[in-house]
Amino acid sequence: MSIETIADVEFGAELEPFQPDTSLAATGPFADAVGWGDGGRFKDHERARKEGLPGALVPGIMAMGFLTSMIHRWSPVAKVEYIDTVFRAPVLADQPCTITAVVTDVSAEDGLIQLDLTVKNAADETRVFGTANVRLPLG
Amino acid sequence: MVDIEELKAEFLNLEFDTKEFSLDADKVVTVAKMSGETLPEFTDPNHPDFQAPPAYIASLAAGRHLPIKFPKLGGIPMDGGKAVTTIHPVRVGEPLTGRTHLHDIYHKTGRSGRMIFVVSRMQIFDASGTHVATSDSRMVVREKPAT
Repeated sequence: MSIETIADVEFGAELEPFQPDTSLAATGPFADAVGWGDGGRFKDHERARKEGLPGALVPGIMAMGFLTSMIHRWSPVAKVEYIDTVFRAPVLADQPCTITAVVTDVSAEDGLIQLDLTVKNAADETRVFGTANVRLPLG
Repeated sequence: MVDIEELKAEFLNLEFDTKEFSLDADKVVTVAKMSGETLPEFTDPNHPDFQAPPAYIASLAAGRHLPIKFPKLGGIPMDGGKAVTTIHPVRVGEPLTGRTHLHDIYHKTGRSGRMIFVVSRMQIFDASGTHVATSDSRMVVREKPAT
């Protein structure tokens, strides 16, 4: 169900998990667009391994993009006013990951909610976590 | 061992970098689409409310993170995370100014020693001087043990 107003949100509700595109076909253009395309660590597994990495990485701020995209899929009227992401460990390109989120606070009179967000890899290891403050219409 | 309180007294809240820029629509759209964004406010330059998504705003802080005289902390700095606050939409194609200062310095101590966190904050202003967004970059340094 798409969230239209603050009245649609329940404390403790879980958002539909989101599996973003972590392929090199996504990480490479992203890295180029933010000016991080040189060096290959986000575009080429072999070049990344030569830098001592386990493989090409998903740029950290791309994980922030995944999180905001997930929020907007959940509620197209949501305004992300604040988002904080903690890069706990690298997210590898071409490896599946799943994003989950749970509503941890609801302020109905202000139209504000808080979400806890987690990016996990296929081994269920947390790679990125964060929080977001999101404003919704009062309805 | 670095004295965190001394660092804070010397460096916090002093602007050390100013950057002028204008956002490129194609790059903003690429960042949004590659992140899985579906809202046209972020993916369609012709949308009347077209604006940069938080991930793009976070990328704007990828310049100088530390004052020139900030001491070396010993270990290899790592990107510990990013935070973005949006106050107003960050518009594409308009002149913007980013002013950066150190917002916080703190440490956490674990079994492997002390980790120092340095948060640099870029406040972004539009052409009228309105504060439209803030981008925080959290740098983490594992301090080398004293020999």
